[in-house]
Amino acid sequence: MSEESGRGVYRIIARREFVERARDRGFIISTLLTIFVLSAFIVVNALFNRETRFELGVVGGSARATGEQVAATAKALGFTVTLRDYSTEAGATQAVRDGAVAAALVNDERVVVKSSNGPGQLVAVIQAVSNRTRAQQALAASGLSQDAIDRALNVPPLPVRALEPVDPQRTQNSAIAIVGILALYGQLFAYGYWVAAGVVEEKASRVVEVLLSTIRPSQLLRGKILGIGLLGLCQLVLIGVTGVAVSRAAGILRVPSGALLTVGVVLLWFVLGFAFYAGLFAVAGAIVPRQEDLQTSMTPLSLLIVVSFFLGLEAVQTPTSTLAAVASMLPPSAPLTMPSRMILGQAPLWQGLLSGAILIGSTALLLPLATRAYSRAVLRAGRVRVREALRAERRG
Amino acid sequence: MLELIDLSRRFGDVVALDRVSFSVAEGEMVGFVGPNGAGKTTAMRITLGVLEPDGGGVRWRGRPVDATVRRRFGYMPEERGLYQKMRVLDQLAYFARLHGLARSDARAQALRTIEVLGVADRKGDRAETLSQGNQQRVQLAAALVHRPEVLVLDEPFSGLDPVGVDVLSGVLREQAAAGVPVVFSSHQLELVERLCESVVLIHRGRILAAGRIADLRAADARRLVRVEVAGAAASWYETLADVRVLDPLPQGAILELRGGARERDVLDAARAAGDVRHFSIVQPSLTEIFRRAVSEA
Repeated sequence: MSEESGRGVYRIIARREFVERARDRGFIISTLLTIFVLSAFIVVNALFNRETRFELGVVGGSARATGEQVAATAKALGFTVTLRDYSTEAGATQAVRDGAVAAALVNDERVVVKSSNGPGQLVAVIQAVSNRTRAQQALAASGLSQDAIDRALNVPPLPVRALEPVDPQRTQNSAIAIVGILALYGQLFAYGYWVAAGVVEEKASRVVEVLLSTIRPSQLLRGKILGIGLLGLCQLVLIGVTGVAVSRAAGILRVPSGALLTVGVVLLWFVLGFAFYAGLFAVAGAIVPRQEDLQTSMTPLSLLIVVSFFLGLEAVQTPTSTLAAVASMLPPSAPLTMPSRMILGQAPLWQGLLSGAILIGSTALLLPLATRAYSRAVLRAGRVRVREALRAERRG
Repeated sequence: MLELIDLSRRFGDVVALDRVSFSVAEGEMVGFVGPNGAGKTTAMRITLGVLEPDGGGVRWRGRPVDATVRRRFGYMPEERGLYQKMRVLDQLAYFARLHGLARSDARAQALRTIEVLGVADRKGDRAETLSQGNQQRVQLAAALVHRPEVLVLDEPFSGLDPVGVDVLSGVLREQAAAGVPVVFSSHQLELVERLCESVVLIHRGRILAAGRIADLRAADARRLVRVEVAGAAASWYETLADVRVLDPLPQGAILELRGGARERDVLDAARAAGDVRHFSIVQPSLTEIFRRAVSEA
């Protein structure tokens, strides 16, 4: 018989927690469903936010020259125009009719569109470019020098003063931050619940008595938290990697490295947040006799997480507010508020580090207390009050 | 030798154990008997470290039992506990791992144990799909899977059918024969009498008697006869002088002869009452010893 040292016991426990749950059909289905919903969300989002682009048919050399100016102007205005040459007007008209091109410019003489309420943005640019070309030609014909013509036509555009600065990256980052907060919220809740439910399962079925005649309660708890936490982390990695891959494929992410950073931030805060909450969920499970009583004993924790979630959403809106800054420093709400501030680039590095250190420190203080309460409560029949569990010595 | 030394334990105002001491030698099978609430389960839970004693301790091979030593003990708690959703073989291999077996050894041992206990055909099934009796066998397998040095079983026979009782009896005999000290609690005293050489009798947290059943019998000086008569009036023996009825039987009784009562007078009375089918001088059964000890306590 080969003896294993008692130190490795928590790994055996973690392995069971991981394998038994990962093999569960419900878990596999819900993971696949999450990935499917996320992918669908990204694809649909991509379809609606596709960059504005038009195909413009051109017939004749002069139209080609005008078309190039149209494309250049359009680019400056934030949309893309690509040109397609047609040798005859009939060919270009047919292409418009078929929808192969949005409009056709024929010999600098006329614009063909499918219906009059067609691509207004494109037609407006063609009109503007064409107006300018024709004005230039008219002025040249009236004998003005090229200099004078340029002076007349090259007037600077009216300055536009925006009252609210727009950062397109910011909008996208907000969306990513919200997805990240949602994922963290769901994951902390689901896996915290699993810790509590796993503890009750062992207590209600009395298997805990078999286990604790062999191993110490602290080993059992450590293994359980490690196994369930690892599973949550793996699921999150899977979802995150799929999300980034699908986004890239759908072409909606302008900065993929930013998305990877987001996934990294979410994973890190899941680990920190889960470590903080898992011990508390274990106590919530240990003090009740049956699964049905779990809802009640988990209520304070559920409230804490839900409030933190709303603070997290608030932090996406106003990442620099005092509320967001304070919430991202408090251990219970930090895992759901600091990540969005980091993703949005609105938290200085020192704040991120400080918040992480506070969370790790409070976990280090809390976990031994939680282990103590868990150890005392899990072998006692019936409902146990937390204060009793903390105070009482180990009794059955 | 497994020794329980001066174990004391209170629950609030209730004294569950009051300086309880007894020992089980290697290869010895000891029945732990006593009325409900006598303290059997408390003593066993303390032995397995699930409960802390207020005083006293447990020693194995002369040394105090700690967590490392306890991993080599086998325990079947009174309130059975299995992972209902886990498959039988996986579950037992897991318990074996917790007891310190290497992974491949754990699996082989799990398989071997359920073969011995006759539930090998259910190895891939979840525990919740097994009948009560089969779950009980799996529970016992959990206590045996790691080749324990010591076996402590709380009511292992309760809920088993006669075939299950035979299987379990055989397994416990084998364990004892292999040198394992076995202690189990039971209310089925005939069974204890059949299986064990020694018993420990506990009542209200105190040991009333402990030792070899043969010695306890020898110490019981009562004269008993077992008599069975066909076709007799139901209460023919109740009128005999100096004779007390210990145990009524369908066609007779076990009678205690006191003072001047003589065996031959009882036999005469029996013959007068009807056809004598059985007449023998018997030793007190464990049930009788138990009853007497408890009533005198």
